[in-house]
Amino acid sequence: MARSIKIAQLAIAGFLVFVAGCSGGAGSSSPPPPVPPPPISKIEAYRFLNQATFGATDAEAQRLIALGDSTNSYSRWLDEQFAKAPSTQLPTVVAAVPNPIPAGFNIGSLHAQRVEAWFQNVLNGDDQLRQRVAFALSEIMVVSQLGALANFPLSLADYHDMLARDAFGDYRKLMEDVTLHVSMGIYLSMLGNQKPNPALNIRPDENYARETMQLFSIGLVELNVDGTPRLVNSQTVPTYDQSIIEGFANVYTGWRYAYPGVTLFANAGRATLTNQVQPMQAYADQHSTGTKKLLSYAGAAVTTIPAGQTPAQDLANALDNIFNHPNVGPFISKQLIQKLVTSNPSPAYVARVAGVFNSDSQGRRGNLQSVVRAILLDSDARSAPSAQTAGKIKEPLLRLTQLWRAYGARAASGKYTATAPGFPSATFAQGPLQSGSVFNFFSPFFAPTGEIANQNLVAPEMQLATEYNNTQIMNFFWAQAIARTTAQTGLGADVVVINTTQEQAVANDSEALVNRVADKLLGGQISAELKASVKAQVNLTATTVPNTRVADAIYLIATAPEFVLQR
Amino acid sequence: MNYNRRKFLRRVSAGGLAYALSRTPGTVWGQMAGAGGFGEYRALVCVFMFGGNDSWNMIVPRTTAEYNAYKSARGGEQVVGVSTSGLAVPFASLLPIDPIGTTGAPFGFHPSMIGVQQLFQTGKAAVVTNIGPLLAPTTKAAYAAGSANLPPQLFSHNDQQDQWHSLRGRNVSKTGWAGRVADLVTSQVPNQQLAVNLSLAGNSYFQAADTVSPYVMGTNGPVAFAGFAPTTNATNVARRQTVEAINNQTYGTIYERAFAGVTKRAVAFADVVNNAINAALPLVALPNSNTGLSSLEQQLRTVAKLISQRATLSMTRQIFFVSVGGFDSHDDQNNDQPALLANISSALSRFYAATEELGVQNSVVTFTQSDFGRTLTSNGDGSDHAWGGQQLVVGGPTALLGQRIYGTYPTLAINGPDDVGGGRLIPTTSSDQYAATLAKWFGVTDAQMPQVAPSINNFTTKNLGFLV
Repeated sequence: MARSIKIAQLAIAGFLVFVAGCSGGAGSSSPPPPVPPPPISKIEAYRFLNQATFGATDAEAQRLIALGDSTNSYSRWLDEQFAKAPSTQLPTVVAAVPNPIPAGFNIGSLHAQRVEAWFQNVLNGDDQLRQRVAFALSEIMVVSQLGALANFPLSLADYHDMLARDAFGDYRKLMEDVTLHVSMGIYLSMLGNQKPNPALNIRPDENYARETMQLFSIGLVELNVDGTPRLVNSQTVPTYDQSIIEGFANVYTGWRYAYPGVTLFANAGRATLTNQVQPMQAYADQHSTGTKKLLSYAGAAVTTIPAGQTPAQDLANALDNIFNHPNVGPFISKQLIQKLVTSNPSPAYVARVAGVFNSDSQGRRGNLQSVVRAILLDSDARSAPSAQTAGKIKEPLLRLTQLWRAYGARAASGKYTATAPGFPSATFAQGPLQSGSVFNFFSPFFAPTGEIANQNLVAPEMQLATEYNNTQIMNFFWAQAIARTTAQTGLGADVVVINTTQEQAVANDSEALVNRVADKLLGGQISAELKASVKAQVNLTATTVPNTRVADAIYLIATAPEFVLQR
Repeated sequence: MNYNRRKFLRRVSAGGLAYALSRTPGTVWGQMAGAGGFGEYRALVCVFMFGGNDSWNMIVPRTTAEYNAYKSARGGEQVVGVSTSGLAVPFASLLPIDPIGTTGAPFGFHPSMIGVQQLFQTGKAAVVTNIGPLLAPTTKAAYAAGSANLPPQLFSHNDQQDQWHSLRGRNVSKTGWAGRVADLVTSQVPNQQLAVNLSLAGNSYFQAADTVSPYVMGTNGPVAFAGFAPTTNATNVARRQTVEAINNQTYGTIYERAFAGVTKRAVAFADVVNNAINAALPLVALPNSNTGLSSLEQQLRTVAKLISQRATLSMTRQIFFVSVGGFDSHDDQNNDQPALLANISSALSRFYAATEELGVQNSVVTFTQSDFGRTLTSNGDGSDHAWGGQQLVVGGPTALLGQRIYGTYPTLAINGPDDVGGGRLIPTTSSDQYAATLAKWFGVTDAQMPQVAPSINNFTTKNLGFLV
């Protein structure tokens, strides 16, 4: 490991020397021949691809390295990715709807097709960065199959497609698309939200009003641009109070399923296959028409919505009001950094990215493409990690997708999720759009007992790292390595196998075998201790049983903390 | 607790459990006395209802005036199957109860809670009413004037869950109150093979501790490691040792160290706990077949089985965390709430019956917590986030003073004396008092209590008295 870090540091050092040489060379009478910038190393390529995709692979690392040198490879790769069209889920789910729909058909069963489409896209899609950012957004602007959306697989597939479409777009548009999506409308009960009826003590539903501010945009307390809480007299400052929640709750009234031409709220209460994938429609007869209190902050354009506006006017005022709050930049930037790069970003890193959120090089606010670029090209993301707080835990699904991508996993049928009901959540404690609540599978503030909590640091993904979940995942990886590989025959058509041909070829040489696995899973960066442990275990099995030798190498490395860490 | 003791505990919690595991099981009682620890077994079981239970429909007043106020506040009586009708439980459907003492006023349980009604009427359940996070007694006038000392972020799910879990008030705290109880009592139960805190429902702030990590298993217990069996094969045995060696490496990041710590505990305990659960006899009240059992009931079955193996595992003090979700009834409450409350009622009464089967009903106290109570007012087809609510405590007759309502039942009226708007009621009993009452029974001393319930000294009543 020490050697690997040295190589990475040399690469960075070389880059810096080159830059210095350029700027210093102008005044020199006999400039030295320019030193070509070095290519990025495989370790660096793996680190970047584990931040930006669903798992680094040998092939993609080599391609990234070949795109240029340490000054431009990453940027060129990003440019390629920004131009990729989004992979989609909705067409797959729609194609699975029987026609005609038989009586008693369980439409909720089509979530299986939605989850399958997610796996197809994140394992094989070429829009890796877009899907990775969409996945991050799906863990911020959470909707879930568990609960009221159990029978809305089309709508949830469309919600994820929307996140993928908007992943490199404008955050204001994303907020509006999320707000008016039927999935969110059902999940946080804005769909069907009615104007007050004082005679019956009925007031507007506050669910979406509260969570969209707390979780999707500004958070609970005022922030500095570096993401730290703004303190007044050493106290945090709340971003809103109950009266503002009530103001927004009144804004979000009068929206229901889209029925073009229909004007009455009462006639728009039925979901169809069509309107569950269309934005909600406004019905003025159930819209609260009074004044509405919004957020107050320096530079806020409208802080009180005047009476008598249309639902759409109110919504535009309200979303502009939230979007321009100074918290949005640091709040969203920090969460995206935590999802993509590190659990404990330095305030300076957050500030640099939030600055780009607030105004990118074109002066645009909330341009997610610029934000994602800033996150991934930042020096804290790219220079060799040395701090004990650098990186993060890979969440369970990302460990699975990385293993599968690195080992070209596939089933004869081409499917990934057909073998086990409840896959992947029953084993991995998470699945796409399957959070237990709007608070996601794990909290951005989770800190496990011990040094992390004691130092006021966080490790959000550790919330899923229970004794139980770790065991379940280790057992899955053992079963994969010992019994579901290309070395086995007679497996069912839906069994996902990993391609271990290369490992089988060197199975009698434990050094070569461990190096091969470490190359694929760790970009070659393996500690001497781990290597020694794995080799010793491999050598306990006779070379006449290559399958067990290969299985031990893959299992032990894929479950080791070195693989669980995203550097 | 002196420094050496803390250091020892830290080492144990970090996975150095060879000591605890090497002792001969089954001799816990004699050793306990010698260790100066607790003499008898006690367990707390926390049932957390995620989402914020609309508990004003769980126990409802049955005097005419109070019921009418409640009915009006909730927009009228429910019409079965009509989500947009009022939220009030119809008077005629309430399951009557006769609380001892207090106001003497008649009350009734929600019609889907017949199991809990029977527990209450036979003295095995109690209600704590209008309870919620408070830092000090709080008046409506002080609230309105902005001068009240309040927990932060009232009405927010995760923040109020955090208050119930941690009782942290406005302080920064990384620990939950069950975690702090574990930190305090673990030194008195040095022979326990398992941590004081066991969770059947994932990592929780409630059980987060300074030194003693909770152990988390699944609904039906831990799973065994597939690669480590059968142990007749030396390679499998070695594989376990290799996994242990890998997780014992010195790691350079906080993340690897934390993750390795969990995996080490997983390896160390999977067989111990599984063997215990497998050795437990089937229970009549919570049978081995999952048919007809909810997830909550399955979690509680695992709890009961582990309790039955307390001697084998040398356990003297245990806190279990189980949970159930779905209580955030903004939408369609009239259709969803009956099943939610039926599940709570069935689970609590089956689990109580299981403790009677095991003869531990006076050693096990089960209590509920939930994010918050909900608004009395309707949002058209549901209720929103509020503050004070009602909780249930279940236990045997020599542990629990049951058939009583603890605290002050509030006036369920809009703009009533406790309403801060929309039927959000200021609690008159605090979560700190609740925790302190439970912790005291568990063995925490009065002197230690502020470490468990940091605001307890702001309240005159430091023990709600429901436990003997």
